[in-house]
Amino acid sequence: MDPDKPSSSLLSQEETARPFAQAGARPDPAFQFEPFPGNPGIGTVVEALLKKPGSLLHELSGPRRNGILLRLLVITTFCALIYGLVVGSLSGGTQLWAAPVKITLGLFFSVLICLPSLYIFLCLSGADLRFGQVCGTLLGLVSLMALLLIGFAPVAWIFSQSTHSVVLMGALHLIFWIIALWFGARLLWGLLAYCKSPDSGQVKVWVILFVLVSLQMTTVLRPLVGTADTLLPTEKKFFLAHWISVMEQSGR
Amino acid sequence: MEVSNDSYSRRLKLLCLGRAEPMSAWLDETSWRWPLFCCLVIVLGCGLYGLTVGLWRSPLQSVFTGLKFPLLIFLTCLGNALLNGMLGQVLGSGLTFRQTSLAILFSFTLVSLILGAFSPLALFILYNTPALESAQRGTGHSLTLLTHVLLIAYAGIMANHRLLQLLHKRAPSAQSARATLFAWLAGNLFLGAQLSWVLRPFIGSPNMPVQFLRDEPLEGNFFEAVWNTLKFLFLT
Repeated sequence: MDPDKPSSSLLSQEETARPFAQAGARPDPAFQFEPFPGNPGIGTVVEALLKKPGSLLHELSGPRRNGILLRLLVITTFCALIYGLVVGSLSGGTQLWAAPVKITLGLFFSVLICLPSLYIFLCLSGADLRFGQVCGTLLGLVSLMALLLIGFAPVAWIFSQSTHSVVLMGALHLIFWIIALWFGARLLWGLLAYCKSPDSGQVKVWVILFVLVSLQMTTVLRPLVGTADTLLPTEKKFFLAHWISVMEQSGR
Repeated sequence: MEVSNDSYSRRLKLLCLGRAEPMSAWLDETSWRWPLFCCLVIVLGCGLYGLTVGLWRSPLQSVFTGLKFPLLIFLTCLGNALLNGMLGQVLGSGLTFRQTSLAILFSFTLVSLILGAFSPLALFILYNTPALESAQRGTGHSLTLLTHVLLIAYAGIMANHRLLQLLHKRAPSAQSARATLFAWLAGNLFLGAQLSWVLRPFIGSPNMPVQFLRDEPLEGNFFEAVWNTLKFLFLT
């Protein structure tokens, strides 16, 4: 047996249909770990992200991993740019290009900062995975988030056209982002189920870290929703302090 | 004794995964290569993390801390090697002196891996911390201190959890495994705290110069400093 080969890729035919749900519970068809039916085009990957994340996780441990990673990268970039455009539409002007660029870069920076710790946390959870699989899953997580944000984009756009309140729009984007992350994190639980890891506590800690890093990233790259004199901030702030100061300014 | 054929990178992964079976087998190996590789991982992991710890104060402090952090680990291991070996035998862990040192070295290797993985996160926190030149530098120093305490504590807890798994594998009873771990932990914390005092500064106080060691490093001790701080806080 190849020691570097993850145990998860050695699943039998019966085990690939092992549901995400616990034994005895009703099987979750979304988390059946079976290969894609045909060539994994962008459409197939999008469909897998939404409907069959189990298949995506299975493919990420197979020979077609690099192609899927590339497609995930394209999906994330495209969706983040589009959603960024919607975010920037509140203020218009420079923000129409600055917000999409900042949101996309911020998303990738957050991924890069948190990737090493995710790999270690998954190992500490007992998940025997290759680094590429972890990269792919994290990219899948942000891709799913970005896709869901695209779904929220029309709602966000309607609100951004009918209000000038930075606080309201900021809160709305935050709610959408949290919902998207909630669904995106399912990929991590799926990954743990895929490699039969008994412990999800470490990964829950990592999700908290990722949330904190992402929220701080929005403050580092401010303004995203409103406008400012400079493209990037000149003062360092903790995200909570920034939110409080924005709310105080808007209350005056 | 059977020698495991796993590559060293695979062994690091098994260490993270907490697989007690191979970890236990490594204790019986006579080769020094794997322990030396663990030392290298400690130098790299803790060194990298140490660089981020000192960077808030200055780049030079960063280099000093990058050197001192692994040094602290090695001095703690060496200083307590004899005591830990004795405690291991007295408390019935079933480990020899060499195996005791190796087990502790493995746990510090895991600490280094976790801290190394936290380095990008620590850099991001540093980027967001009020700078030394700003009016809020006191906040910056406290924030840096608190963050590193939390990250190091997490790494320490995880490593000790793995060490306990290894001890459960080797010790004849769960009670002796727990007793051995707590005895080692107490000894290492006691010596480690004092060594960290001797090797100070790590973050670097904003009001003091950048130095590899303070002018009189052996003067005073960690516990006296804590006691004086508590007296200052509550009795004055």
